[in-house]
Amino acid sequence: MTELFNAESEEIALEHLHALGCTDGLPVVIPTPDRVERMVLASGLDGDLVLGEMGPGGGVASVRQIAIAAVMAGCLPDYMPVVLAAAKAVIDPRFDLTEMQSTTHCTAPLILVNGPARHSCGPIASGFGALGPGHRANASIGRALRLAMINIGGARPGTSDMALLGHPGKFTYCLAENEEDSPLPPLHTSLGFDAENSVVTVIGAEAPHSVIFSGTGDPKQDADGVLHALAAGLCGLASNNAILTGGSAVVVLNPDHAGILTGAGLDRADIQRELHARCVHPIGTLKRVAPTFARGDDDSKLRHGFKDPADILVLMAGGSGLYSMVMPSWCAGPHRNSAVSVQVESDLYCELPGA
Amino acid sequence: MALVTEKFWPQGDFVAKSVGMPDVPRVRLPHPVAGTGSASLQAIAEAHAEAIIDALEGQT
Repeated sequence: MTELFNAESEEIALEHLHALGCTDGLPVVIPTPDRVERMVLASGLDGDLVLGEMGPGGGVASVRQIAIAAVMAGCLPDYMPVVLAAAKAVIDPRFDLTEMQSTTHCTAPLILVNGPARHSCGPIASGFGALGPGHRANASIGRALRLAMINIGGARPGTSDMALLGHPGKFTYCLAENEEDSPLPPLHTSLGFDAENSVVTVIGAEAPHSVIFSGTGDPKQDADGVLHALAAGLCGLASNNAILTGGSAVVVLNPDHAGILTGAGLDRADIQRELHARCVHPIGTLKRVAPTFARGDDDSKLRHGFKDPADILVLMAGGSGLYSMVMPSWCAGPHRNSAVSVQVESDLYCELPGA
Repeated sequence: MALVTEKFWPQGDFVAKSVGMPDVPRVRLPHPVAGTGSASLQAIAEAHAEAIIDALEGQT
């Protein structure tokens, strides 16, 4: 249910929203009925269409409720198809939204966008500083999902969102793949979608961890070095991926590192397989770090951080240089931190006059 | 019946209300329980066993 408040000014309305705990702590665009209805209109969908429930509060996520979050986040109407797809992804039971919102872990929904919607619903940045400030679509799409998770899902720090500290990606966490320059096929085509589809993939993830690698010029040695560096970041000894195991994670290769790996003849499946093989620790070592989780009689036995190589999502984004990024994950919940992909219904989008 | 540690008591209230079971029996445990070792777990279990049984029997 949506309550309608009257206020004498937008400033007063903003303070009221802050006081109600309906914001992320930053100023929001006041979701007036006119603004919300324009956002609904842009979606091409009925505002009352129910997408599902958002836990842990169990609020009903209708198109209109998502539109309210999009308005508050500062989205342009163009972004609505991607916002809706991201909302559908976290509502999908495989995402374990209730558990993810309630955990003490810092996990936040990382939105990865592929296909033509990167341009038509954006531009959604995929190059230099794409996860940083200055990119309206990235910033506001991720923020819209967060505001929906607060106001529909009921996540409030310390009472229903029990993240011990959280991370800045809980404000917004949205990225497109640089498909045009990548030597790898677009991520979504490896997930079963056609190249011409637009797809949002959402995964609960830690903050991005920087991985440095500087090459030597020897293709084989460099590929091995990149893989080792990425594996060290993905499955560090203190990470949930190493200790709890069985979750998913994301690798965002920069163009240089992607070039090193593909130049050595590795495709995405090869990279995933090589990372899977390197993300291991002896049980004896794990016992020293996490004695209550690492069990087994043979301390020399190696334990894999990932159950399946495909659980490591690999894509290319960011600028050229020494740094790639990895996003480890929580690795818990009934579906063990599954990534969920949803096709963007951009054909329903309605262009608004003056938008 | 749910076992909820002190620090998570407000979350327990929130979830209980969200799922339409505001009066679901709960027993309050000290915080933290996880990671305190088996001796601590044993002591907590012994200290709260009676309250847990009472809650299961609907006496709280």
